[in-house]
Amino acid sequence: MDRRDFLATGAVSTAGMLFFPGNLLAKEAKNENKKRLVEPLPFKMDGEWKEFELYIDLHTHEPAPGFKYHTLAFNDMIPGPEIRVNAGDKVRVKFINKTDLNHTIHWHGIFVPWRMDGVPFVTQLPVMPKNEFIYEFVAEPEGTHFYHCHWGTLMHMQAGMFGSLIVENPKDPIKEKFPYEREYTLVYSAHDTNYIREEMNGMLERMKQRSYLMKQGRFTSEQWGVFDNKEQFLASMESGYQPPYVTNRRSNAELPQANWFTVNGKSYPSTPYLFIKSGENIRVRLINAGAETHHLHLHGHDFWMVADDGVPLEHPWKRNTVPLTPGKTFDIIIEGNNRGIWTFHDHDTRKVTNNGLYPGGNLLALVYEDLPADELIISKHSGNPMYNPNAGMGDMKEMDNEKMGNMNKMMFGDDKLPKIALDE
Amino acid sequence: MKKIIYIAILISGLANAQITPEFEIGAKGVFSGNLNFNSEESNAVTDFSDTQLLMGLSQKLYNNWRAQFVLGLQFPDANSNLGEVFYNNIFIRLEDKTNIFKVGRTLAQTNLNEFPTLRDDDAQQFVYALNPFSDGVNTERDQYANVLDYTHIFKQRFFVSIHGENFYDSLEPDDFRLNSMGVSFIYRVPESQRWNRNIVQQIGLSYNNYFTDRPGYSNDFDSSVKNLLFSTILNLKPDPINFVDFKFQAIQNFGWDEITELNDYFDYTRTQSTSLFGTFRYLKQKLERPHYQISIGGGYKSLDNLSTNSNQLLFIANGFYRMGQNFDIGFQYRYTENEGFTQNLFGKNEHRFQLALVYSFSQIFNKQFGDREDLLNLEHNYIK
Repeated sequence: MDRRDFLATGAVSTAGMLFFPGNLLAKEAKNENKKRLVEPLPFKMDGEWKEFELYIDLHTHEPAPGFKYHTLAFNDMIPGPEIRVNAGDKVRVKFINKTDLNHTIHWHGIFVPWRMDGVPFVTQLPVMPKNEFIYEFVAEPEGTHFYHCHWGTLMHMQAGMFGSLIVENPKDPIKEKFPYEREYTLVYSAHDTNYIREEMNGMLERMKQRSYLMKQGRFTSEQWGVFDNKEQFLASMESGYQPPYVTNRRSNAELPQANWFTVNGKSYPSTPYLFIKSGENIRVRLINAGAETHHLHLHGHDFWMVADDGVPLEHPWKRNTVPLTPGKTFDIIIEGNNRGIWTFHDHDTRKVTNNGLYPGGNLLALVYEDLPADELIISKHSGNPMYNPNAGMGDMKEMDNEKMGNMNKMMFGDDKLPKIALDE
Repeated sequence: MKKIIYIAILISGLANAQITPEFEIGAKGVFSGNLNFNSEESNAVTDFSDTQLLMGLSQKLYNNWRAQFVLGLQFPDANSNLGEVFYNNIFIRLEDKTNIFKVGRTLAQTNLNEFPTLRDDDAQQFVYALNPFSDGVNTERDQYANVLDYTHIFKQRFFVSIHGENFYDSLEPDDFRLNSMGVSFIYRVPESQRWNRNIVQQIGLSYNNYFTDRPGYSNDFDSSVKNLLFSTILNLKPDPINFVDFKFQAIQNFGWDEITELNDYFDYTRTQSTSLFGTFRYLKQKLERPHYQISIGGGYKSLDNLSTNSNQLLFIANGFYRMGQNFDIGFQYRYTENEGFTQNLFGKNEHRFQLALVYSFSQIFNKQFGDREDLLNLEHNYIK
């Protein structure tokens, strides 16, 4: 094989990389889809307290088949498990730090006592390596919220330290107005996996040094870069201390440039499907736990905006595209009134990519369960000229039936939609 | 015809979208004023030898391997016969988690240790298994060779390597055949784990076999010059603020019995000898960055097979202070003493004082994947 042949073979192999999802409506497919949704965190009762347990550890994550990276994850999953409580519940969360790094948990949108807010050096000291912290609060207000690490937030959040926190109202005005049985939580994020890797390596290395010094009682404020007050900080600078923003002491001097975009920790083609039936309402809770804005657009439908930051909207309104900014949550109601398979994606199409390659990222589908299997058959309904030598296939007229069959098999595989295409 | 091939490759590259590789650039500038007092004369010179530039391009391959292309150049000593610029690194490296292949010109395994001296060749005669094909005009021909090297890594820390080299032959400069083979075993704690390591950071053993043409011997092995190297690095105080280590290397040259006097440099590298060299280093770190460093070392080389007592002695001491990121100012004193035949070759003794400014920089741009020795890969599952 000479060099020219080798290159040609390489190109064909890449273009032909198609995977077939099988029957979307089969039981196996639905079971598989459950793995792409957020997992509920079980609790046990201690008197009137609902007790949850969250731990943080290093985790090897695979957002899409074939790509893995080291990251941080609550309870070995990204996003972390979903905490679901009723408004007014007393909530106790035992947080265990299994890593060699510092962490806290911030309860985003919850009216916690200020010492439970999880902001290091403002409301608490960081939870040190191999240490635990107990968070206690009353679950209020109702709505869609989330939790995330508030230590080294730039890195720790995009690494994967976030999860949904749903405070339910038994007399939910949204449910009364738009009766629904099924709901989905979609947690969005954006990740610079190179930044995460470099930062984590740097942090782990620094923490090894610092732990060594701590054990010997030789770790100082200057080494930690933590001061009691501004005067102490300025006095240290007077005597020669250079803060980290003057001379970079960290592993990475550049700000992150996200190259992976995820929904529930997954990028297309691993993103979840939203199942619906004709005539059904489904509620979708949208959470942006990342640092990028996602302009989410649903094809073929207008949906109802029913809550903003967890707050139910008195007068819901309709739209088909919503800008989900960092830290924001929206609740939407999708009415099943247009049977089919519909894309629900980030309309900032830079975020429908995996490491720069389209398609990928924030791309998922709304799938009607009552869609007749017959409608999925490409050759029967699409009128694709590839199946009809007399319709636009003049150049192929001399191709015999067997070769045409082979070509169709290559192009379409199983004769049905949808497919997973990595070379659109 | 060559031009057409280049164009074809270029077009292929444009037609298939390419991933920009990781781009690593390393630079070292060593500028010193040297004051030499030796037994014959004294002089003062400005010196920027050992200044070098290194560029590496790395990419992930299919099937979980990685490849790196490295191109490096160095400014050698003015009288080295290497020209203004010496291309000291031109090689390709293929690696996965446990295997490394290397082919091209780069550092040969004639030295297992990096000693804290101002320049790499400041203790050349004591720390390198010297190239027996070289006329000794320069030191680069002892350090660099065209190599073919395979290394297998066991349990992250045991490196077993077999290698062949073409060392530059001063008498036959156009002979590019492999003229040396060797094997080495090294236990080495990865740098990223330096705060977890015990006192032993590195122990190495290496055997090099130079296929010399020894008069009267037809068997390749019998006619060769053989060197055995032992090396170690001991962390006497693995402290993040006050770090002390000891580095040591011994080289036993099983040279030719018949060389009992030194008529030229070839005799020097081919006769039997034993070299010992060691340094103590103290590194002061301030806020997780180097602050200053002091080191002291000495070497002794005995050439026992010679008819006249011809031992060599070296003492070296230096200190470096970090003025800012990547910039150091340093001072080094070196004393060398030669007896017998080595005195004829290198002079009786020399005191050398050097005041130096050193710039060193290494950075990887467009970083895309972790190194094998990243903490994450070492301690939390290696990612292919």
